[in-house]
Amino acid sequence: MELLIIPCLFALIALVVPSNFMRQYALIGGAVSLILSVVAMVSFDVTGFKTIFDPHMVTSFGLTFKMGYDGMSLFMVVLTNLITFIILLSNYNRTLATNKSFTALVFLMQAALVGVFTAFDGLMFYIFWEITLIPVFLIALWFGSSERKKALMKFFIYTFVGSLAMLASLMAIKASAATFAHEDLVAVTLTAKAAYWIFAGFFLAFAIKIPLFPFHTWQPDTYTASPMAGTMLLSALMLKMALYGMIRWLVPLAPEALPDMTKIVVVLGIIGVVYAGVLAIKQSDIKRLFAFASISHVGLIAAGAILISHDNWSAVFIQMANHSLVAVGLFLAADIFEQRLGTRNLNDLGGIAKQAPKFAFMFGVLALASVSVPLSSGFIGEFMLLKGVYSYNWLVGVIAGTTLIIGAVYTLRAYQLSMFGAPKASPFADLALNEWLAFLIIMVLILVFGVYPQAMIDFVGPSIDNLIQTIK
Amino acid sequence: MDALIVIFITGLISLFVAFMRKPMLVLGTSLLGLLIAAALLLNQWNHPYNLLAYKGLSFDHTAISYSLVAVLFTFLSILVGYKSFKEQLDHTGDYVALFLFSLTGALCIVSFTDMFMFFIGLEILSIPIYVLAGSKKKDAYSAEASLKYFLTGAFATGVLLFGIAWVYGAVGSFDLNEIAMNINAGETDSSLLKVGVLLIMAAFLFKVGAAPFHFWSPDVYAGSPTVVTGYMAAVVKLAAFGAFMKLFGSVFPAIHDFWAPALMVLAILTMFVGNLSALGQLKFKRLLAYSSITHVGYALLAIMTESPMSEQNLLFYLFSYGFSILALITISTIIDDEEDNIEAFKGLARRNPILGFVAVLALLSLAGVPPLVGFFGKYLIFSGAISQYPTLVIIAIANSGIGIYYYLKMIMTVASKEDNTNTGHLEVTPIQWFVMAVCVAGLLFGGAVLGYL
Repeated sequence: MELLIIPCLFALIALVVPSNFMRQYALIGGAVSLILSVVAMVSFDVTGFKTIFDPHMVTSFGLTFKMGYDGMSLFMVVLTNLITFIILLSNYNRTLATNKSFTALVFLMQAALVGVFTAFDGLMFYIFWEITLIPVFLIALWFGSSERKKALMKFFIYTFVGSLAMLASLMAIKASAATFAHEDLVAVTLTAKAAYWIFAGFFLAFAIKIPLFPFHTWQPDTYTASPMAGTMLLSALMLKMALYGMIRWLVPLAPEALPDMTKIVVVLGIIGVVYAGVLAIKQSDIKRLFAFASISHVGLIAAGAILISHDNWSAVFIQMANHSLVAVGLFLAADIFEQRLGTRNLNDLGGIAKQAPKFAFMFGVLALASVSVPLSSGFIGEFMLLKGVYSYNWLVGVIAGTTLIIGAVYTLRAYQLSMFGAPKASPFADLALNEWLAFLIIMVLILVFGVYPQAMIDFVGPSIDNLIQTIK
Repeated sequence: MDALIVIFITGLISLFVAFMRKPMLVLGTSLLGLLIAAALLLNQWNHPYNLLAYKGLSFDHTAISYSLVAVLFTFLSILVGYKSFKEQLDHTGDYVALFLFSLTGALCIVSFTDMFMFFIGLEILSIPIYVLAGSKKKDAYSAEASLKYFLTGAFATGVLLFGIAWVYGAVGSFDLNEIAMNINAGETDSSLLKVGVLLIMAAFLFKVGAAPFHFWSPDVYAGSPTVVTGYMAAVVKLAAFGAFMKLFGSVFPAIHDFWAPALMVLAILTMFVGNLSALGQLKFKRLLAYSSITHVGYALLAIMTESPMSEQNLLFYLFSYGFSILALITISTIIDDEEDNIEAFKGLARRNPILGFVAVLALLSLAGVPPLVGFFGKYLIFSGAISQYPTLVIIAIANSGIGIYYYLKMIMTVASKEDNTNTGHLEVTPIQWFVMAVCVAGLLFGGAVLGYL
C-alpha cells in the first residue's frame, strides 16, 4: 500500500515545498519510492501473490477494491519507480524542476501508474487508467510548446474514447460475472460473438494508448508538443500500461475471441513496425523521429503480447523494460540538443561528437541499444519476439524482421547527422552531472540486462505461467 | 410530511423576517428551517409515520432520499445566491421564500401517491421558478426567460392534466396503487390509458428538458439569474425525474413495451441534440443548458431500465450531477461576467488556482472521468441498462466521447496560463468558499456514498 500512498503524499507536500528546494525534494521523493519498491522486490517470492489492499467487501455494483501484485505487477511497479526517478534526475537542471505543480503532477502520475499495475479489480484498473490521463495532460498543457493545444485536444479525445470503449467492455463482461475481481472476470465464459465485442472494446483502448497503426496519429504531435518529462512519461511509462493491460486483462478476459483476433492484432502491429520505421527515416525533427521509432518498436511488442506463450510474454516484459530505458535516454538526448542549440532539426546539427565527447559516447550507446545489438538488453527481447512472431507465421516474421534494418537506418542516420561532420553550431556544452548520471544508470542497466536477461525472465516467468494456466 | 410543513412555514417566516432588512437573518432562518426539515426526514427514515390521515403523500425510503438530496441542493443554492439577494434589500425575503416554496413542490412530487397531489406538487414546484426566472427585472433576457418558461410550462401542465384525465378515464382512479392494480389486472389494452400515458410522458419530457421538448431550456437557462439556473438544473430536474421514475417505474411498468420504444428514440435524440448543439456554444449558461440536455438523455436510460436498482441509480446520477452544476454556477457568479461569455473563464487557474481547480474538477466530473462522482453516476446508469439495451448504452457511451470535446475545450480555457485578457482580483466570500468546499467534497468522495447503498 505504501507504494501507492507515498507518491500521493509527495505530490501533496510538493505544493508547499519552497521552490529553491524543489529539485532536491523531487529527487528524494523519487528515490524513496524506488527504494521501497526494490525492497518489496527483494523480499518477494516470485511464484506468489501479495495483497496490498483488500477490504473484503463488495459494493452493490461489484467493485471489490482488490489490489496486490504478482511477479509481473511488481516488475512494472519497479520499472515505474525506476523510470520516474530517472525522469526526475534528468530533469534536475531544467527550469521546470523548480515548479511546484509540475513536481506534484509527476508524483501523482507515478501513484496512478502504480495503481494501474497493482489493480486486480476491473473497475479499479479502469479508474487508475483514467487518472493517469489527467497529470500527463496537464503537464503538457501547462509546460508544453506553443503549438500544443490542438495536439493535446486530439490526444485527450483519442484516449478518452478508447477508455470509454474499454468501460463498455468491462460493463458487458461484468453483466455475467459476480464481481469486478480479476479472477471472477477471468472465470466468465463468453459466447464467440460477445467475446468479439468485448475484445474489441479493450483492444481499442490499448491500441490507442500503445499506439498501434492506424490509431497512432495523435502520438507524434503529442510527443513533440510535450515538455521533455511529459514525453518521457508518455513513452516510457504510459504506453506500458496498455501492453501490460493486454497481457493482464485483454487476453485472459476474452480468450474466446483470440482465434480470429490474433491475426488482426499481429498484422496491425507489424504494419506499424514497418510503416512507422519508414516514416522515421524521413523525419528531420529528432524528437519526432524518436516518436515514430517508438511506434515502430512497440508494434512488435504488441504483436508478442497477443501470442500467448511463456517465452513471448517474458520477451514482452524484457522489451518493455528495455524500451522504457532507451526511450528515456533518447528523449533526454533530443532535449539536450534543443536546450543547448534551440533546435531539434537534424539538418542544423552536426559535429557534436568533437564538442561533447561524453554526450556522443552515451548517445552512441543508446543508439546501439535501440537497434538491439547483442549484449544490449534490446537484443534478447527483440530476438525472442521475432522468433515468436516467426513461429506464428513465417511471412509476418520475415516482414517484422526488417525492423532490425530499418531501425538501424533511422537511428544511425540521426546519430551520424548530429554527431559527425563539420560543427554547425558552437559551442556545445557537454553533459551536466545529472544528465551524465541519468545516462550512466540507463547504460549500466542496459548492459546488465543485455548480459543477463535471465534475471528478468526468472522474475516474471512464474507469474506468467500462473496467468496462462487460468486462461481457458 | 412534517418536513414539508416545516419548509413551507420557513418560507413564510423568511418573508416576514425580511421586513427587518437584515439579510443575514433571513439566510439564517431559511437555513435553519432546511436543517430541521432534513433532520425530520432522517428521523422518518427509521420511524415511518403519517402525520395526517390524508394518504396523498407517502414518504417511503425513495421519497426521503430524493427529498434529502433536494434539500441539500436547495441549501447550497440559497447560499450561492446570497450575495446577489443581499444587494436587493427589498427582495431578499422574496427570493429565499420562492426557493423554499419551490422546494415544497419538489417534496410533493417525489412523494405523491395520488395524481391529484402530483399535479398540485408540480405546479408548486414550477410557479416560483417562473417568477424567479424573471427576477432580474430590468434585463430583457430575464423577462424573456420568464415569459417563455411560463407559457411553455403552462402548456405542458395542460398536456399533463389532459393525460391524467385520460388515465382516469381508463382506470377510474387517481390513486397510484389502484391505477397500477388496474393496469396489472389486464386492462392494459385500453387505448384510453395509452393516450394518457403518452401525454403524461410528453409533459415530463418537457419538464426535464428532453428533445424535442427542449427548446425552452437554453433560453431560460441563459436568461435567468445564474443562481436560478443552478437551482433549475440541480433541484427542479431532480424532482421531475423523481416523479417520472415513480410513475413510469412503478405504476406503468406493465405497459413498458408500449412506452419504452418511444422513450428510447427520444433518449437517443436528446443525447445527440444536446451534445451537437453544445459543441459550438460561446456562452457559459447556454453550454450548461445543452450539456444538461445530454445528461437528461443519459438519465432517461434509467427510466427505461426495468430493474429494482434503477430508482437508486437515477437518484445517484442526479446527485452527482448537482455538485458539478452548483460548483460551476458558484464560480460563474464569482467571475460575474455581464455577457456570460466562456472567454471570461480564461486564465481562471492563473487568477485564482483554487477556483481553477474546482472548475476543472467539476468539468471532469461532468465528463465522467473517474474517480470523480460523475463517473460513478454515469457508470451506474450505463451498467444498469447494458443487459437490456446494449445498443443504446453504446450510443450513450459514444455520446460521452463527443461530450469530452466541449468539456475539454472549457478545461483548456480555465487552465490556460498565458492569456492575459482577464485580470483583476476575484473576490470570494466565505459563503462561496463553503459551497465550493461542499461541492468538492461531493465531487471527490461522493462515490463513497455507494458503499452504503
